[in-house]
Amino acid sequence: MKRAALWGLVLALVAGVMAGAASAAEVRLGSLNDLTGPTSDVGKDVALGIREAVAYVNDTGGINGKKIRLSLYDYGYRVPEAITTYKRFRDFDKVPAILGWGTGDTEALSPTVNKDKMPYLSHSFSAALSDPKKTPYNFVYGTDYSSNARAAITVWYDEVWLKDPKYKTLRDAGRKPKFAAFYANAVPYSSAPIKAVKDQAVLLGFEVGPDQDVPLTALDTKSQVLAAKTFGPNLVWHGNTTMSVATAIKDAAALDLGADHIVNNWGFDENLVKLVGPAADNFNVMGIAVNAFYGERVPLMDKVVEYARKMNPGVPQENRMIRTVQGWVQVLMMAEGMRRADRAGKLTGEGIKEALETLREWTPGLGRPPVTVTATDHRPGSVIPIYAMKRGKFELVKQVDLRGRWPEKWDREWLGW
Amino acid sequence: MDIFLQLIISGVMVGSIYALVALGWTIIYKCSGVLNLAMGELTLVGAYICLSFYSWGLPFIPALLATLVATFFLGLLIEHLLLRPMIGQPILAVIMITVGLAFFLRAIVALVWGTDTVIFTPPVFSAEPVRIGTMVFSRVFIWSCVAALVLLVVFVSFFQFTRWGLSMQATADDEMAALSLGVSAKRVYALAWAIACMASAVGGALLGNINGLNISVGALGLLVLPAVVLGGLNSIPGAIVGGIVIGILQNLSDAYISRVTPGGVKEIAPFAFMVIILLFRPYGLWGWVKIERV
Amino acid sequence: MSYLPAGLYHERYAQEHAWWQSGFVRAKMVLLAVVLLAGIPLAPTIIPDLGPYLISVANITGYTILSALGVQLLIGYCGQITLGHSAFIAVGAYVTAIGILQYNLPYVVSAAFGAIVAGLWSVLFGLPSARVKGFYLIMTTMAAQFITVDFIITQYISRVGDRGHSFALPPGTVRVGPWEIDNDLKAYFLTIILVVLCMAGMANLMRTRVGRAWIAIRDNDIAAETMGVNIVYYKLLAYFTAGALGGIAGAMWIPSQYAVSPEHFPLSWSLWIVGVILIGGIGSLHGVVFGSIFVTGILELLKAAVLPLSDVFPALTERFIYTKEAAFGLAIVLFLLYEPRGLAYRWQQIKNYFNLWPFPY
Repeated sequence: MKRAALWGLVLALVAGVMAGAASAAEVRLGSLNDLTGPTSDVGKDVALGIREAVAYVNDTGGINGKKIRLSLYDYGYRVPEAITTYKRFRDFDKVPAILGWGTGDTEALSPTVNKDKMPYLSHSFSAALSDPKKTPYNFVYGTDYSSNARAAITVWYDEVWLKDPKYKTLRDAGRKPKFAAFYANAVPYSSAPIKAVKDQAVLLGFEVGPDQDVPLTALDTKSQVLAAKTFGPNLVWHGNTTMSVATAIKDAAALDLGADHIVNNWGFDENLVKLVGPAADNFNVMGIAVNAFYGERVPLMDKVVEYARKMNPGVPQENRMIRTVQGWVQVLMMAEGMRRADRAGKLTGEGIKEALETLREWTPGLGRPPVTVTATDHRPGSVIPIYAMKRGKFELVKQVDLRGRWPEKWDREWLGW
Repeated sequence: MDIFLQLIISGVMVGSIYALVALGWTIIYKCSGVLNLAMGELTLVGAYICLSFYSWGLPFIPALLATLVATFFLGLLIEHLLLRPMIGQPILAVIMITVGLAFFLRAIVALVWGTDTVIFTPPVFSAEPVRIGTMVFSRVFIWSCVAALVLLVVFVSFFQFTRWGLSMQATADDEMAALSLGVSAKRVYALAWAIACMASAVGGALLGNINGLNISVGALGLLVLPAVVLGGLNSIPGAIVGGIVIGILQNLSDAYISRVTPGGVKEIAPFAFMVIILLFRPYGLWGWVKIERV
Repeated sequence: MSYLPAGLYHERYAQEHAWWQSGFVRAKMVLLAVVLLAGIPLAPTIIPDLGPYLISVANITGYTILSALGVQLLIGYCGQITLGHSAFIAVGAYVTAIGILQYNLPYVVSAAFGAIVAGLWSVLFGLPSARVKGFYLIMTTMAAQFITVDFIITQYISRVGDRGHSFALPPGTVRVGPWEIDNDLKAYFLTIILVVLCMAGMANLMRTRVGRAWIAIRDNDIAAETMGVNIVYYKLLAYFTAGALGGIAGAMWIPSQYAVSPEHFPLSWSLWIVGVILIGGIGSLHGVVFGSIFVTGILELLKAAVLPLSDVFPALTERFIYTKEAAFGLAIVLFLLYEPRGLAYRWQQIKNYFNLWPFPY
């Protein structure tokens, strides 16, 4: 019995080494995902989306005829494991590019990735990764967290504060709207945009109150809501993932905080609707979505649904979220970069980086506003869609163009933080 | 003042869930002397089992009862497989086997139920909170308070007045003497684990109603330790009181101390408090004064 | 109890006290040195695909060994159970990182500071050992873990220099003497040197009166006290040394990863290294090495087996991945049930078998 197990392990290892040898008509791609760690509630859906998207790309011609060979690995949000897996991808699997995940490890790997000239397209939209002067090989497929936060607060200001009759008396009295941020202080992704969002708040004329620390796994946020209540905010920013945002919104409803909510993109999905339920109907809950929600009527969504049904029939359709679509956008952007690099004859790390920097007003459909990446600015674009959650559904409020409104600041001041 | 009172109330509410889990822990320690670090994962398993029954169509109360039965047997199984061979081994081995169990259970939960956030649909408790004056009480927490109190009364009377309860206390006090009187130590240990699993399953089922279930909910298990240290390791009323005090302490420290720190006080306040208690009154409020002083 | 082979006798005390008492053992040690110093570094040229990967696995094993040494000292040799050791590794890592980034100290000096500060911090949390034992001490060490990593480092220390949470060290900042440590191979050599130094230090320490005092405290502290051992002093010394070893582990982490963040030092790592010691064998230095190699090796084998399979059975392996954690939990449970004295004991039994052959005992 023991011997059989030993042999089994040896055979698996041998198979692994043999499988390691790729055939010539293949392009490899590495992907780091979180399927078991603290962000796995969104990570799992993304991983499913990535696999389905790669299958779609391979079915529709691959990279100019070459198929993508995906190595997807769950690193459970443990940074050391991300680092060793990265080295394995680089040395053993010899991938020319990597799809990354979380802020902590992407930022930690950033110096190495840039030294190794490995294009790294991550789901972390930290603004620190969008300045090619510092991190030329880091790419993002969605606008960075800071710009997203700026867009969200701008849209609330324009559409709600200035137009909603609820606030008319306050406006007429010349009062400034009050703003407070609820986020997990200790988590890099959550605290990344705070400085920028407060800067934008001041720019628009808000009064900024004290931050409230909400851990990602918070069960009860009543003390934070009560502390915020003494300040009396009109608008609250939520920087966490869905679970704790739902807790905070429900507690805010129960304790009559009386504020509207804007939520970052990783807290704003179909799960939020399920968890918050009817509590959100008395005030506005808006948030950022980097692309369309699952099942929305936009180009290519039919393929997403088709492949989801085909490849993962065991996962019910109502459990699929916007995260699947995000996985698709990520893969399609990388595939486009690889195609261009291959056409230029340079399917290497450097070649893919240069190819990605040739993207101009490119969109894969799926509700993703056009992406433009240049060698001096890795922010994919300045148009950000803001949605509102109304009666269990998501409606587009506005697509705000930050560069259109503040061109000087967008080009000069806001890059990189 | 209003806010202070509300903080206390919501602290009591959250604390009642800690109390349920701490109750399970104390029962295991009281009867077999095992320091169990897998409490959070046992709560998690209980919660997921209840969710499974509920999603198969059983109404909530029958689902809860079915969970109790299932976790009863789970407790018996764990005790038989893992703890029975560890009798007589040094304390570190016993603690580490519970740690191994914790890792294992967490992986099994991920394997069987996945890592998505799952919620009780349709919702068991109405989301609309109960309002008394200016105070707000979430319905889930009210029920968990009630459950904690009910279980407190049940277990205290169990240990005081029934034969099984007395045998368990006797075994904890002096195993040899109890064995010589005909008490079966094996049955006592098995029963202790079974009861503990049931108590934490109740806590878990209620916990799952608050904000959905996810693997990360298992981290609750660590907060049990300050609660039992405060209350006294082998005191059941102590576990309940300890849990509630920890809940209150978390809220108060977050509201008042967070102003001077960048944040994160809520999570570690119980542990800091625990260190202070350990230095000055290690046996807690009601524990047996059996500490070996160095 | 390890037996010497038949026919070996010593004529002088110096030979009796030697670490390596027979020619065979000396040859083994030379072979080990060759493998470590030449074999593994040359692996990339011999097996081009697996080589660099092997070096990074060796680095992780070295880190595990250094982390577990402090815990072995406290648990295995001094009898104080500690479940919060990552806190001290974190302290060492952060002090080293801040020393390099903020104060521009050379790496060696920063690392030394890291070890000392970690040792002192450990003494702080070891103070309750002067009053309580057993379970309460365990609780204090767990509290140390949370308070240090989740609070002090996350909130205060990691903000130093306004860097945000992950300190990523720019390339070129870690130098030992004239060598810059910028790739895995050089980090590997640094690790080997540190591991050898620390293990030699520990082994010799155990032979001195300090080591004997610790073992006395572990076996029966009341009896030790009656014999005149000042247990408070020696306990605090044990905490200091363990903390310093943790600090060195943290200092080693920096050149290996070139980044540090509070998320690298969670409670699960503290529990992990206690598990490593249990698997390797409590109270034995060999145990630390065996346990580290076993745990790291099993995980890497699992990873190697899973990744290629994931192309063939994607759905299956996405669930199989969860069993990594289950494997560790299961390993601890199985070892505790069936091999409670760990791999070191098994190693001794194997050696004795050969030494005593053809006799059974």
